Amino acid sequence: MTDFTTATRLLAAEEEAPATKVRGYWQNVGYRLRYDYVTLAFALVIVLIVALAVFAPWIAPKDPYKTSMAFRLRPVGFRDFHLGTDELGRDILSRLIHGGRMSLLMGVVPVVFATLIGGFLGVLAGFIGGKLNMAIMRTMDVFYAFPSILLAVAISGAMGGGMANGMVALTLVFIPPLCRIAETATTQVRGLDFVEAARASGGSTGSIIATHILGNVLGPIFIYASGLVSVSILIASGLSFLGLGVEPPHPDWGLMLSTLRQSIYVNPIVCALPGVMIFVTSLAFNMVSDGLRQAMDVRL
Amino acid sequence: MPHHTQTFRKIAACLAAGIALAFGASALSSIAPAQAQTTLRVAMTAGDIPDVTGQPDQGFEGYRFVGYTLYDSLILWDLSRSDVEASLTPGLATKWEIDPKDSKRWIFTLRKDVKFHDGSDFNADVVLWNISRITDEKVPHFNAKQFAAMRTRTVNIDRAEKIDDHTVAIITKEPDSLFYIQMSFWMMISKAQFEKAGSYEKYAQMPSGTGPYRFAGMVPRERLELTRNDTYWNPKRVPKHDRLVLQPMPEATTRAAALLSGQVDFIEAPSPDTIARLKSSGMQVITLPYPHNWHYQFNFVDGPFKDKRVRQAANYAMDRGEMVEMLNGLAQEGYGTVPPSSPYFGKPVLYKLDPKKATALLKEAKCYPCEVTLAISTSGSGQMQPLPMNELVKSQLEAVGFKVKLEVMDWNALLDVTFKGREKFPAYHAVNVSRATQDPFSGIFRFAMRKQWAPAGGNWGHYENPEIEKLITEIYNTFDQAKRDAMITRVHEIMNDDAAMLFVTHDLNPRALSPKVKGFVQAQSWFQDLTPITVGTTN
Amino acid sequence: MWHYIARRIVYAIPIAIGVTVFCFALVFLAPGNPVQMLLPADASQEVVDLIMKTYGFDRPLPVQYWTWLTRAVVGDLGVSIQSNRPVIDEVLRALGNTVFLSFGAVMLAFSIAFVLGTLAAYYRGSAVDRGVTALSIVGVSIPNYWLGIVLVIVFAVELNWLPATGMGPRGSETFDLFNWSHFKHVILPIITLCMVPVGMITRTTRSAVSEVLGNEFVNTLRAKGLGELAVIRHALKNAMPQILAVMGLQFGYLMGGSILVETIFNWPGTGFLLNKAILTRDIPVLQGTILILALVFVFTNLVVDLFQTAVDPRIKRS
Repeated sequence: MTDFTTATRLLAAEEEAPATKVRGYWQNVGYRLRYDYVTLAFALVIVLIVALAVFAPWIAPKDPYKTSMAFRLRPVGFRDFHLGTDELGRDILSRLIHGGRMSLLMGVVPVVFATLIGGFLGVLAGFIGGKLNMAIMRTMDVFYAFPSILLAVAISGAMGGGMANGMVALTLVFIPPLCRIAETATTQVRGLDFVEAARASGGSTGSIIATHILGNVLGPIFIYASGLVSVSILIASGLSFLGLGVEPPHPDWGLMLSTLRQSIYVNPIVCALPGVMIFVTSLAFNMVSDGLRQAMDVRL
Repeated sequence: MPHHTQTFRKIAACLAAGIALAFGASALSSIAPAQAQTTLRVAMTAGDIPDVTGQPDQGFEGYRFVGYTLYDSLILWDLSRSDVEASLTPGLATKWEIDPKDSKRWIFTLRKDVKFHDGSDFNADVVLWNISRITDEKVPHFNAKQFAAMRTRTVNIDRAEKIDDHTVAIITKEPDSLFYIQMSFWMMISKAQFEKAGSYEKYAQMPSGTGPYRFAGMVPRERLELTRNDTYWNPKRVPKHDRLVLQPMPEATTRAAALLSGQVDFIEAPSPDTIARLKSSGMQVITLPYPHNWHYQFNFVDGPFKDKRVRQAANYAMDRGEMVEMLNGLAQEGYGTVPPSSPYFGKPVLYKLDPKKATALLKEAKCYPCEVTLAISTSGSGQMQPLPMNELVKSQLEAVGFKVKLEVMDWNALLDVTFKGREKFPAYHAVNVSRATQDPFSGIFRFAMRKQWAPAGGNWGHYENPEIEKLITEIYNTFDQAKRDAMITRVHEIMNDDAAMLFVTHDLNPRALSPKVKGFVQAQSWFQDLTPITVGTTN
Repeated sequence: MWHYIARRIVYAIPIAIGVTVFCFALVFLAPGNPVQMLLPADASQEVVDLIMKTYGFDRPLPVQYWTWLTRAVVGDLGVSIQSNRPVIDEVLRALGNTVFLSFGAVMLAFSIAFVLGTLAAYYRGSAVDRGVTALSIVGVSIPNYWLGIVLVIVFAVELNWLPATGMGPRGSETFDLFNWSHFKHVILPIITLCMVPVGMITRTTRSAVSEVLGNEFVNTLRAKGLGELAVIRHALKNAMPQILAVMGLQFGYLMGGSILVETIFNWPGTGFLLNKAILTRDIPVLQGTILILALVFVFTNLVVDLFQTAVDPRIKRS
């Protein structure tokens, strides 16, 4: 019971985890990042892609759903279709811009949920230890027994396609590794002398422990999660490609790639574009994640 | 450190041994390629090799490539000409007729001197054994899967009897003047071979029929190899190539790539957007009408389509020419349940494009804008290019005042909707499931009869017309073909009067052939005869 | 040592059991009727019931699980609803082809990554290092199914150099690695599939080798007058266990992750089989394939784990 209350307090503390104690560290990180031009450049790419996605309705020159059978599969630069049209005569540029919404959602949402759930379970398991740790970590081990794509395909294949099912599947895929990282970091910190001391000194023990633990757990989790965004985008677009993700007629890069593939003999360049978008986005997230990892000096 | 390296060396050695083993094994299993044989290599749209143990699965494509190649049925389809819709022709039965004294008793006279590939005789006992195979769940050779697939065709059979070694009688429960057509789907497999195998699993590795090709080997999910049956009972249909190789390739782009890179000689259903590329590489692209219908079945109980004027409006809204153009000419405009080349087409009302009339009808029906929900699939057998096609239909409907919601689902889910009927899915106002219209029952009646109201049958939206009910009862009791055909044509015309479906298009059964393939005559049918094909030598 | 190995193996058993429960449960997440694909669209309820009964789908779930498990243990994974062939035959045949593909891809990746990673480590911090690091990130960022499509268009359709699909001119059973007309079927799938392992192995090689190169003893070796090549060789020897371990893990990932690439190339492996099973809702095949792949993955991880322990006893403690 006491274990449980600590855990609750720990949760509450997560919200207000003060960054003050580690400001020196963060200043250092900021300094390192400021001179890492490659990371900054790719961060700019991400900002651009996110901005395109967020402001898609205002930026996209045309309605991404507007079909026109008279103008199917037109090449790049046909009239005012700057990147040509797809198999239903829809403007590819507008669909690529709107498609970023789906692809980013599928990339970010599962990672956020998995971070919250996996992080919570991991901290819980690491902090409380004992049988609960056993139960949580052994369950995670079962999911570790599946390569990530296989697990995602299996779950969304069984539940049937669709964006929601795809997100659930991806969340389930990412929970175990995040949980494991949180658990390892928590267990390490928990055994440290100063935590033992803080625990012994009574009073605000819980919040001190929570601060120490979270301060040390958040870094690795954040870095790992930022790397997962790229994985998530790749797997999600793969699911859409297999017909298990976003459903038509919604613009999604994976789905666009899959349907445009049928027309690859008519207009190969146009058909290659969604793949380029997936590649650039996933590359940008990977580069930035890598830069952050170096700047924050986290070893995973 | 030394300990370190030693362990590493050991492991490296193990690994190397493993590699050698893996590569060696793959090398061992190689066999020399057959020389100087002509081989026809076909890419099918199916995802797997169809069932070779009798009634094929994978739809009519299975019958086309595995059914009528390995096996024969009592009655076959005449696939030798392109100019008319394929009709029935004697197969393992030389004659079939209704017993003049009993309108439920069909008499089949069997062909003599026919032998199975294993050498056993084809006779009346074998026919009876084959009938029990998919009708009688108590016999040891009962096949549950084929029973399920054939149920709609077998449900009217009461029993079968042997009259003599070369004559059998099949007795139906109800008089059915169209019953004989069902026997064209019934593959006769070798009783002797099955008994040697002992089970369908084993038999699948050594199937034996009477067909123009013999089984030569199979790599599951990859290829089925058949060889010429030199002693086929019909000398005209002994294959003009030595070997027929069938490969499942469900993806249209993969099939096109395989043909272009010379891996296969004959592909099924190239997608419209590959046609230009295929032609530019010298491939022959063949199209011909056949009994196929790409349409929507309406919901006659819930929603706007229960009003005939709304159904007519939808039909008047269709710009079918635009659809054909989008499909690069691989389809023809659809104005009825069967294509105009069908003997049952008649002179129905044709709903030619008339957007003004459509809008007027909607306003008259007080459904403007008229909100409808259509259930469609992302893919599926016979569905052609469902997404672009449905998008086009949607835009055409919306142009006259409909407001269309496409409910997109996978093929299985759509089949489930179709199978359970409108009662379970009142929110759907129409379903887009394309159909084979090979015979009057499966092509016309099952969408019109009260008895076929889903879930009992194929009449998804519970369409009904008293005149059709009367006509169909009469048809089943009319054994004079000319009179019967006239009545079937009338049923087709009434369905058009009622605008019983949203008619859109009929597929043109496209195929692409390598330039070295000669002699193929495409029939107006779901089935095709590959035997006259000659192929330039391949290795 | 043996005690440790035994413990690791015993520890893998509950995971394997969990895997079987998951595989079994997965199927019942699904909406719809498992035998639907068998039935014509207008099958009657009587037919549906008979078929459900024939395949045993009418019994309570725990009973179905127990029956399935006890049979699975002796290698009977049931019969494919679609093809009527024993699932175990289907999966094992496909498994061999996927092992071949994954193994080839990891080997190709290794030969590329080994060179790149070593170069990056040796010239650590230089432009070469940055270039290699960037390349390794490109490898893990590229959607490989897209790359596969592009390669098919270029090399199979336009240039006509390589075949677009399948495994050998006469199917996988007669595949002959040492025959060019067979071997050329392998090239595009392996190149496509090796992208991720190239990225991962390069990264590991770089960090492992540079760690060794940073060690004191390397300076000692240099001081002794050892040539630079000899120094590198020494560093590689020490970094090898780590590199091999990552190769093992990548092999495991590819085994399960090749579904998209196999679909593009019609490669008759487990991914292709799985994709078909999902599309046709062939439950026994779905269960069997996932089960076998997961067990292969558990086994690969176990081997990698034991291997690492064998060469580096320090790991045992954690």
